[in-house]
Amino acid sequence: MIPDHSPSIVPLEVPSKARILFVEDDDTLAKEVVEELAARGFSVSHVSTGQAGLEAATSEAYDLMVLDRMLPLLDGLSVIEKLRGQNVQSPVLVLSALSAVDDRVTGLKAGGDDYLTKPFAMDELVARIEALLRRPNDTRATTLRVGPLDMDLIDRTVTREGRDIELLPREFRLLEYLMRRPNQVLTRTMLLEDVWNYRFIPQTNLVDVHIGKLRRKVDGTGETPLIHSIRGSGFMLRVSH
Amino acid sequence: MSLTDTSRFGVLRTATFRLTLAFVAAIIGGMVLQFVLLFVQMTHFESERSSGILHREADVLVQETPERLEYQVRERASNELRVVINWVGLFDGHYHHIAGDLKAWPEGLTVDGKVHRLTLSPTDDAPYEMRFLAVKVPGGRILVLAHSLHLLSELHYMIRRGALLSVFPVVMFALLTGVVLSHRALARVKTMHEAIDRIMQGDVHERLPAGRERDELERLAGSVNRMLDRLEHLMDEIRDVGNDIAHDLRTPLSRVRARLERATSSPHDADYLNSVIEQATQDLDQCFSVITALLRIGEIENGRRRAGFAYVNLGDLVADIVDLYEPIAETNGLVLTSLVVAEPASDTLVTFGDRDLLVEVLANLLDNAMKFTPPGGHVTVSATPGPSVINLRVADTGIGIPEAEREAVLGRFYRSDKSRHVPGSGLGLSLVMAILRLHGVELAIADGDGTTAAKGCAFEMTFQVSGSPDPA
Repeated sequence: MIPDHSPSIVPLEVPSKARILFVEDDDTLAKEVVEELAARGFSVSHVSTGQAGLEAATSEAYDLMVLDRMLPLLDGLSVIEKLRGQNVQSPVLVLSALSAVDDRVTGLKAGGDDYLTKPFAMDELVARIEALLRRPNDTRATTLRVGPLDMDLIDRTVTREGRDIELLPREFRLLEYLMRRPNQVLTRTMLLEDVWNYRFIPQTNLVDVHIGKLRRKVDGTGETPLIHSIRGSGFMLRVSH
Repeated sequence: MSLTDTSRFGVLRTATFRLTLAFVAAIIGGMVLQFVLLFVQMTHFESERSSGILHREADVLVQETPERLEYQVRERASNELRVVINWVGLFDGHYHHIAGDLKAWPEGLTVDGKVHRLTLSPTDDAPYEMRFLAVKVPGGRILVLAHSLHLLSELHYMIRRGALLSVFPVVMFALLTGVVLSHRALARVKTMHEAIDRIMQGDVHERLPAGRERDELERLAGSVNRMLDRLEHLMDEIRDVGNDIAHDLRTPLSRVRARLERATSSPHDADYLNSVIEQATQDLDQCFSVITALLRIGEIENGRRRAGFAYVNLGDLVADIVDLYEPIAETNGLVLTSLVVAEPASDTLVTFGDRDLLVEVLANLLDNAMKFTPPGGHVTVSATPGPSVINLRVADTGIGIPEAEREAVLGRFYRSDKSRHVPGSGLGLSLVMAILRLHGVELAIADGDGTTAAKGCAFEMTFQVSGSPDPA
């Protein structure tokens, strides 16, 4: 059963050459990150102080800012507050060496869009940058369609080319999250934080097991696999055009 | 810093010597009081005695005829009876002298049959005090008898002299005793000071001389020694923790180093290099997880941050976490169940806490339970309301923890399980306890839900019910 109203349009590609402003005072780390991001097709500008970051962000339009929380002269949170005060609305990813329990909360309250604790894996950073650049645009849609998958958010049903897929509520939530972000690397931490709203690092391969269960239901025998593991980073719901 | 700076006045500046001074003052006070009382008593006694003599003599003389009395008076004035009655005088009704060695009427004397103490001031001699008794005798005449205070003044003199002579040696003796005792106390304190100096210089095994703790100083030394034992134990623990952490960090780091060294020493293909890099990254992540866990524990323990505190329904929390862990349990061949006893939409399971941290507690305990429970076992997470408390319990049917080791498991800050084969920072339980302490909750270990052969183990926590926030 295919719903008659049109499914939400989900952008499949990162905007080409997204411009990123990276504010980080550790030059060695910054060099690594800038090169890695450049290699992945981003255009990155790097500055080392909060003041310089503020000036750069107000004088030029960036698609996204990656901001270290502890910066000389002007700290990261003040930079965000000043930017938001000047109506600069580009998404901000806050980096922090602080592992404080409520740092994340204050970071997000100040106007940050995501929060990443140092040390981080490069793949984690890239995945989060991509997620911020491609935020799901229509969250009010009642149906989602990604490749052969159809999801009805009201009836809570999922079909793959007419085949009904029986899902537990938690599996449904997980698949919904994946279907809102197709062709996008989703890390284990992102899934834990966004699907389950947990912010701890499990000692077991929790997320892998959940994905494995979901995959067995979604990708039947003989069907083209849709849920892929991305080595070293996470998972992706991949559909061809 | 040491005692030698003040040793010149050392003895004089001890508590014992100050106590001695107080005692000396008390002894002097006591002696003064004793002599004053003696003085008063003797004065009283002597007065009574002299009054008695005067009255008896007067009573005898009043009986005599006037002629006989005059004779008697003259006789007394000259014979040895003067020793008893020192002066006698017979006067007429106008106080004129008739007979006796008392030639003039003593000024101020009244004829009332009572003894009066008066001062005589003869023109040719120094004034002196006497006790007088004047009685009327037949013929309108007056008989005056006088008794000197000679004996009394001699007694007074003796008492004063005795007092002065005895105070000095007593005080000297007390002071000397004080100095000797103070010196001994000082010597004992000095050995303690020296022991403390050695401890401060780093000899943590040194102890104060406590003997058999017979007096207060030795008991104090004993208490200090027990405190030092405890501190030394804690220092050992911290050193062990440091060693364990260093060891836990060194193992993956040396692996990384060995792999990288081997990878650079000889040419290898890209696949091999990639696998080396991947493994190195994993080992570094292991190091980071140890460091992160330590920092978090420190932060939770020291910071006392309660910014994230809100009303949390532990029943929902248990249901959520079990939902998250159920597939893992299934994969491991375990049955994971949640047991939430609560009225729908009631407040009996609501407490005040940090949801994220409490999730971490349950996740760690669940990780732990599933690690140590063999396939086919059960793991149960329950939240049950009690009288104004909520009992949270994570129980398994695994190998369990022997009762003797339970205290140690909870008491140790850092459990370095040398034989552990499971990944993780090894700091999970320490983190759990830090979080629970932040919430003011104790963690207890009890028998789990297993059979008698394998009892399993249960981690039990008791939270306070906080009720829901007022919706208004």
